[in-house]
Amino acid sequence: MATRHRFSVAGVPHTVSVDDAGDRLVLRIDDRGPIEVDATTEGVPGLFSIVRDGRPSRAYVAREGKALRVIVDGRTFVLAPANAGRERGAAGGLADPPGKITAPLAGVVVDVRVKPGDRVEPRQVVVVVEAMKMQNEVQAPHGGTVTSVRVQQGGRAEKGELLVEYTPDPEA
Amino acid sequence: MFRRVLIANRGEIALRVQRTCREMGIETVAVYSDPDRNALHVRHADHAVHIGPGPALESYLAIDKIIAAARATGADAIHPGYGFLSENPRFADACAEAGITFIGPPADAMRALGGKISGRRLMQQAGVPVVPGADNISVDDFTTAKREAERIGFPLLVKASAGGGGRGIRLVQRAEDLENAMRASGSEASTSFGDATIFLEKYVSPARHIEVQMIADAHGNVRAFGERECSIQRRNQKLVEEAPSVAVTPEIRKRLCDAAVAAAKSCGYRNAGTVEFLMDRDGNFYFLEVNARLQVEHPVTELVYGGVDLVALQLRVAAGEPLPDLDAPVEPAGWAIECRINGEDPYANFAPSVGLVDYLQVPGGPGVRFDSMLFPGLDVPVFYDSLLGKLIVWAESREQAIERMKRALKDLIVSGVDTNVPFHLALFDEPDFRSGDFSTSWLEANFRMPEPPADDPRLETALIAGALAASLVAGASEAGPAANGPSRWVQASRAQARRGIRVEGGVRGWRRGIASR
Repeated sequence: MATRHRFSVAGVPHTVSVDDAGDRLVLRIDDRGPIEVDATTEGVPGLFSIVRDGRPSRAYVAREGKALRVIVDGRTFVLAPANAGRERGAAGGLADPPGKITAPLAGVVVDVRVKPGDRVEPRQVVVVVEAMKMQNEVQAPHGGTVTSVRVQQGGRAEKGELLVEYTPDPEA
Repeated sequence: MFRRVLIANRGEIALRVQRTCREMGIETVAVYSDPDRNALHVRHADHAVHIGPGPALESYLAIDKIIAAARATGADAIHPGYGFLSENPRFADACAEAGITFIGPPADAMRALGGKISGRRLMQQAGVPVVPGADNISVDDFTTAKREAERIGFPLLVKASAGGGGRGIRLVQRAEDLENAMRASGSEASTSFGDATIFLEKYVSPARHIEVQMIADAHGNVRAFGERECSIQRRNQKLVEEAPSVAVTPEIRKRLCDAAVAAAKSCGYRNAGTVEFLMDRDGNFYFLEVNARLQVEHPVTELVYGGVDLVALQLRVAAGEPLPDLDAPVEPAGWAIECRINGEDPYANFAPSVGLVDYLQVPGGPGVRFDSMLFPGLDVPVFYDSLLGKLIVWAESREQAIERMKRALKDLIVSGVDTNVPFHLALFDEPDFRSGDFSTSWLEANFRMPEPPADDPRLETALIAGALAASLVAGASEAGPAANGPSRWVQASRAQARRGIRVEGGVRGWRRGIASR
């Protein structure tokens, strides 16, 4: 049985096919020549040992949302679903689509600077989230009118959590 | 010796102090806030006391709660670790009033060293070199300030005596900017600290941050343990520390140690402390301040001075014992480097990163030490600083220590939280770092986090592992084995994947017994 997996790594698409031929495991990366490997996660789920042509390599795989996070020798790769674009750093605050402002990182809400009915200008700070003694100002990506504020001062915000909803200005 | 020590701290340093206590047969008392209930320092202690909610002001900085915890558990001494209450003279006073030994310097010594002008004068009297400057000026007396500034020379710094955290400091390049800088510094200091007292100091740049570990007992003995090099900093936060420093010769080391001993004796210091200096390119050094506590980076000193246990020495001198080995050599053996492993994303401007640690692989082997609060299942709290752990290596030479650190960094896997490991790996390949040619401003001025190489061979391994994980999860959800039976790697992994499930979710476990909250 063969499976085919499409990933986007830092915006670059990759296709990996996995052919599990019983006692042999053959992969093809981006339709290049076959790679025969002996792989196991015995012991710790997600902790892979891969032996290829007598050469071992190691990786740890964990799921992160819809993506896979893979750690190899001190470097972390995010294998996003195909067409997901650049996954890292592309969420929360200024990176949000119009209408919603989400938390770019987890933390404690130390200041809420808008209330329903307020006008917000592009790049205006709407909420301040503190994590690890650093204050992070969450800015509105677009101008508009605030319709609801979903957090309160002193509360905790998770990464990606909805902070503020607003009706965006019609595009000029 | 003490019977039971309360450790008024959390994270890796609480564990560090506990380890020595256990080796010495001393019981430990942990204190913890709500989000730290699951922390290792609670799990490893002999007694544990809940002291409040997450914000430090209501828990780790609440003097009354910590004293009450010590009384309730019968602790006869308190170790403050670093940060939090460690340099708060009112906490030292509160311990004394409660009849509990504070494992640190006397409150009077902390107060004498606390003010920048009083500290400068104390050091000048003790013959410790201070940065050339003038502390006889006031915000209103511009004439005197101008005369003093010309004597010192430009560029210079206007500083607030009560300052801290970089506030109240102005860099002045030209004489005509002096008056405005004095006003700005004075008013900022007045607003921030309620004290507009200012002074002038020569701007030493480029400079290295060199510090000397010392420890003093109650019998008038002081021992200095050579220097640490802490110039690799971002936003005034140290990131990498070494012992010794490439810039310090045996002759400079002798003078540094003598200065540190004189600094300790000038104020009746006791217990462990660190005397910080700025050092210019010519090997001239100037007193900066005394950190009246154990430092984050103390392990590099321990490793180059024969494995001496500084926490054990702290406990011994606090219990009134004399310092041992006063005639021990002042020269270090080998080279030690420490990397601070912080929860932050080096590819997103070092933004803080918290989360649930779902897997941890700790490096080992010769010359490697990992002091850390991490374990699989730890939900890193958002309330405290980003230090998750410290990776420390020792080797015979600096070159070998750098290679050993790179090896250990590659062996470290922390999954669930972003860490600055890629930053450290990039730093150790920088020619300036490798040659030792850097100052405190080097990192921010010259280092740019490199984009990872596109043709990184690790990508292929990541793609293989990712595709296997994806097909494993898909396979695990199928109704039964394929017609010809699952292959041996699927057999080996599928049961794990079903149960386990780090690929499928988290490891957030149950939690019961929350009566203390």
